[in-house]
Amino acid sequence: MEPTSPSYRHTFRLFALIGIAVVIALIVRARLVPESYGDLGHFRADAIEDAKRFEPRHLGPAACVECHDDVVALHAKDAHARVTCESCHGPGAVHVASEGEGGIIRPGGKEPCLVCHRLLPARPGEFAQIVPRDHYRFVGVEDPEIDCVACHDPHEPLFMDRDLRTARLHPLIHRCRDCHAGRTDETLSRPPGHPAIFECGYCHAEVVSGFAERPHSGVRCTICHLFFRESDFAGRILRDSDPRFCLLCHREADFRSDDAPPGIAWPDHGEDMAEDAGDLDKRCIDCHQDRIHPLQTRTAAGDVRAGREE
Amino acid sequence: MTDDRNRSRREVLKLLAAGSGLLVFPLGTLLAGEREAAGDGARAPYWAYAVDTTRCIGCCACMRACRDENDVTAGVFRTWVERYRIGFDGEVRVDAATDNGYVFEPAAGEVARAFFVPKLCNHCEKSVCNQVCPVGAAFNTPDGVVLVDQKHCIGCGYCVQACPYGSRFIDPKTHKAGKCTFCYHRLAEGLAPACVHACPREARIFGDLNDPHSKLSVLLRQRHYRLLKPELGTHPKCYYLELDREVV
Repeated sequence: MEPTSPSYRHTFRLFALIGIAVVIALIVRARLVPESYGDLGHFRADAIEDAKRFEPRHLGPAACVECHDDVVALHAKDAHARVTCESCHGPGAVHVASEGEGGIIRPGGKEPCLVCHRLLPARPGEFAQIVPRDHYRFVGVEDPEIDCVACHDPHEPLFMDRDLRTARLHPLIHRCRDCHAGRTDETLSRPPGHPAIFECGYCHAEVVSGFAERPHSGVRCTICHLFFRESDFAGRILRDSDPRFCLLCHREADFRSDDAPPGIAWPDHGEDMAEDAGDLDKRCIDCHQDRIHPLQTRTAAGDVRAGREE
Repeated sequence: MTDDRNRSRREVLKLLAAGSGLLVFPLGTLLAGEREAAGDGARAPYWAYAVDTTRCIGCCACMRACRDENDVTAGVFRTWVERYRIGFDGEVRVDAATDNGYVFEPAAGEVARAFFVPKLCNHCEKSVCNQVCPVGAAFNTPDGVVLVDQKHCIGCGYCVQACPYGSRFIDPKTHKAGKCTFCYHRLAEGLAPACVHACPREARIFGDLNDPHSKLSVLLRQRHYRLLKPELGTHPKCYYLELDREVV
């Protein structure tokens, strides 16, 4: 028998099928795999662009200053300088887009203040915090419904102008953590028998002597001489005699109780006194020194005044 | 060429000399050096985050800002603040301001020490969540941010289970994985993340690890810091300054 030439038709079929499968697979792959997949790794690189597509809603003080430059300037000087406008007033994007028509929160009541300033052991000791009931008793406010803003301007809460701070660097020796690393602070219980080394009188004996007999005896030194921690070793001390600071406790208001610190009518009292003395810069301590403690007015303002009086 | 099995002593010695020459001048290092030189000047940022636990006052302004900025659905959180209270007996109690309008109320019981710890996605260099994603929807961007491809996420929740920090969630509205993005849209505009912008105490610090003069780089050189769960090898990029030993 003559040998027949070998037939390769079955192999052609097989390769044709494989070829079709490969083409189908490539088409399916091209359709399923997103365009930018694998450009930067095992993900769709365009997803990065997608993530950038939102519009920022918190715009920062640069946007607020366009219309509210006076408030922003006042705010930038004070203790709340680091509190952004939008922390209290909400994101500004809608407000700006609508050219000032709404979209802004006007916080009311005590809660917006207490969110930061309610006394909690977990809060750092140097941060200003109160127990509302005790604080109201201290300043003689009877009505617990009175808002914080009745006394404190949120844009200028304690008149702690940064320029005033810079002159008075004070070593920090008044906190537990200055010696004990960690988180102990003076709001926590102090162990019995601990040496009393954190008393202001150790250095300021002259100022402290006789303080217990004076009307301000119940006021802790740090209530008036607020500290601002600058480093582990030094803080700024406020020895300002700005009348507005005294007025925080002493301004006459109908919501204060009878046992409140003596109230004075303001600005009438100040204007009367200034008129009598012919001195528009008259400060409370110029007349009421004896009610506080011996004052060594070594402040810059004091020196200027002393020079002028001579 | 001689057969391998019939090399003369001289040839073997020559080969050895050439081999040791390669060890002294590795080709790879030369190439890497060239690559670095080419990229110099316009170095891309590599974003990271730091939390100063000694400064946080637990006001939760960050949480409010995050929700407003990113339209985060109610009930889930891209960032949150935990309060640690450690009793005199050493008992650790942790709570978070979440469902009560993000407000910390005074809690009962004496504490030996207490503090706040803000938490968010650690944007790990070797993120577990990305490794388990079955559809390649979770990824690390070249500038060090862990993101979710919202178009391709199928909401299977593997990443939520894998994340050792509890930073991911399935969004109840979109049914896809959600997480902190470092406010990627803000970064593109040159702005800091909303939480950093909102923090009144500068307890949250954001910056570029590739810039040796960024605030973050300076802080990490100067201060003590710890990472959360470093033993897992995820290389988290959220640095906790002065973190208490009780926080893991």
